[in-house]
Amino acid sequence: MATDFVARGQDLELVEVRKEFPGFVAVESLDLKIPAGEFFALLGPSGCGKTTTLRMIAGLETPTSGKVLIGGKDVTDQKPHERPVNTVFQNYALFPHMTVLENVAFGLRQRKVDDPLPKATAALEMVELNHLASRRPQQLSGGQQQRVALARALVNRPALLLLDEPLGALDLKLRRQMQLELKDIQSEVGLTFLHVTHDQEEAMDMADTVAVMNHGRIEQMGAPEKLYDRPKTAFVAKFLGQSNLFVGEVTDKSSETISINFRGNKITAPNSRIEKSSGKVAIGVRPEKTEFHESKPAASSTQNVLGPGKITDIRFTGVSNQYQIEIPEIGEITVFAQNVGRSPVVELGAEVWVSWKVEHSFGLADLPTGEEDIE
Amino acid sequence: MEQELTKEELKAYKKAKEQLTDARKESFGKWLRTKGWKHLIGWVMIVYSVFPIVYVISGSFADADQFTSTLFTSFTTDNYRDLFADEYRPFGAWFVNTLFISGTAAIGSVFLSALAAYAFSRLRFTGRRAGLLTLILVQMFPQLLALVAIYALLVNIGNVFPFLGIGSQLALIMVYLGGALGANTYLMYGFFNTIPKELDEAAKIDGATHTQIFYGIILRLAAPILAVIGLLAFIGTSSDFVLANIILTKPESKTLAVGLYMYVSDQFGQRWTIFAAGAVLAAVPIVALFLYLQKYIVSGLTGGAVKG
Repeated sequence: MATDFVARGQDLELVEVRKEFPGFVAVESLDLKIPAGEFFALLGPSGCGKTTTLRMIAGLETPTSGKVLIGGKDVTDQKPHERPVNTVFQNYALFPHMTVLENVAFGLRQRKVDDPLPKATAALEMVELNHLASRRPQQLSGGQQQRVALARALVNRPALLLLDEPLGALDLKLRRQMQLELKDIQSEVGLTFLHVTHDQEEAMDMADTVAVMNHGRIEQMGAPEKLYDRPKTAFVAKFLGQSNLFVGEVTDKSSETISINFRGNKITAPNSRIEKSSGKVAIGVRPEKTEFHESKPAASSTQNVLGPGKITDIRFTGVSNQYQIEIPEIGEITVFAQNVGRSPVVELGAEVWVSWKVEHSFGLADLPTGEEDIE
Repeated sequence: MEQELTKEELKAYKKAKEQLTDARKESFGKWLRTKGWKHLIGWVMIVYSVFPIVYVISGSFADADQFTSTLFTSFTTDNYRDLFADEYRPFGAWFVNTLFISGTAAIGSVFLSALAAYAFSRLRFTGRRAGLLTLILVQMFPQLLALVAIYALLVNIGNVFPFLGIGSQLALIMVYLGGALGANTYLMYGFFNTIPKELDEAAKIDGATHTQIFYGIILRLAAPILAVIGLLAFIGTSSDFVLANIILTKPESKTLAVGLYMYVSDQFGQRWTIFAAGAVLAAVPIVALFLYLQKYIVSGLTGGAVKG
């Protein structure tokens, strides 16, 4: 084939890509740039348009408008096999009537590459499955099939590898193992990986950059730590981990902080961690950044304090407990506390105050859905 | 140590023994109620379905005047010899004709309906839905209804292309192909839909064309349904009488179903024993094909039934 397949990663750029299906818009005007050699995760709930985006990059769908560029070259009108892209499908899509080796060699044979079998064997060696080369895919375990699918994609030496929820069908332990292997292979071969998933832990764990997608748009994009620490929209705050969100009118503004009035309580956030500073603002905090106290803590300008409330539910999750605290007039607050001492730290029904440092508050650009009318 | 039994003990022993046999009788009654009746029905059904076959085999070895008598009262191979000796009724030619016509029609309809099913299953085009609905609708009407139309059509075609007119085996094959297409395409369409689309896409990403996907992947994975449709088409066409009877006119071009009928249709010379011998031989290729394909057929029939 004419296409020059390169082993090095290339960057991917989407320019105002839009995809409409009859009756709905799957992807709304998407702009995205993924630098070469990066592990990029597209994270979102099902139906958010992430798989459609991936299929457009693979060439299996044609964008309604916009352009797809790989390595600076416009590939929008190219057929799937003309693009330096390969895909690992969610259900692996191994050909059941061929052996593992033939599966891996399929792409090489299609492109009439010399010595397809030795090259396929080498690819199988990379995923440590060369001893199973003569088996049929259905004789392998899920994790092994997954690795065959990976070898089949990598053997074609794509510049960009698309992973469509590749670990979705594996159990937790195998998943962790495959995550590590994927990451290893990615740094080894230096390809650009685009990983589509709905599993936020997986995305944060593996990716250099995570883009959170919702309703066909990218809500927020950035390094996983940043995304987690400073979610900018209510959707990101709730989808990526858990958040306690409070909505109220801005009452105080200083050079350092702003405060809102949340049902009679003052909640403060630093100016460096807010998106807007007038009108109604949502301020949130991560459950593990909050603490509870069995006696009322002294009021302080560096602490937000709410309470007292009752502990209504304690969920044991191993390293930590998740406490639900019901505060009258305020609602439910979630607190994580590490199980370093006794567990649970407080008993069900105990009366507690909740506090967190002002510097851990974050302000959102929008309001949580359904909260706009509550006052 | 053996001991004399007292009278009481003897009585008790006898009583216990009686109870045991009662229990056994009871357990047979219970067996009959719970499982036995199913065996009974099974045996009745077996006899019901095997009897005609045994009767035909017995008849094929019977003397001409012994056909209606008890099973296996006489034994002769004359019927089989006569079958091949009759030059006005060329059994050998009919046999070859049937294999040729049914074989071609079976292979042809498998291939054509696979092509059509692939298009309906994998391609998206205007009129796809309408086409599928038309298929269901058309396959509801038996081809027999179109008998007159087919006859008129073939007469007219024959005026222009004699090799496709009345009396031509090719014409018969064409008619069979057209008639079988509707139902078979629909059956195969259902099966193709169960083959994951990701397989196509994986192949497409590697540069496979539609033709390569069709031959290299879909047909390979659809083997069960191909076997089922091939077999059904073979059986259907080899036992067809009406169409074959009106289209094939010359004795040497007839099929087994039409030809053998000549043995029993004479008003005064009904030769049932020879007919039976012909019927036994006619069953051989179908049975052979069935045995050869049966490993695919079980999975094919259920596959179509559950998923189709």
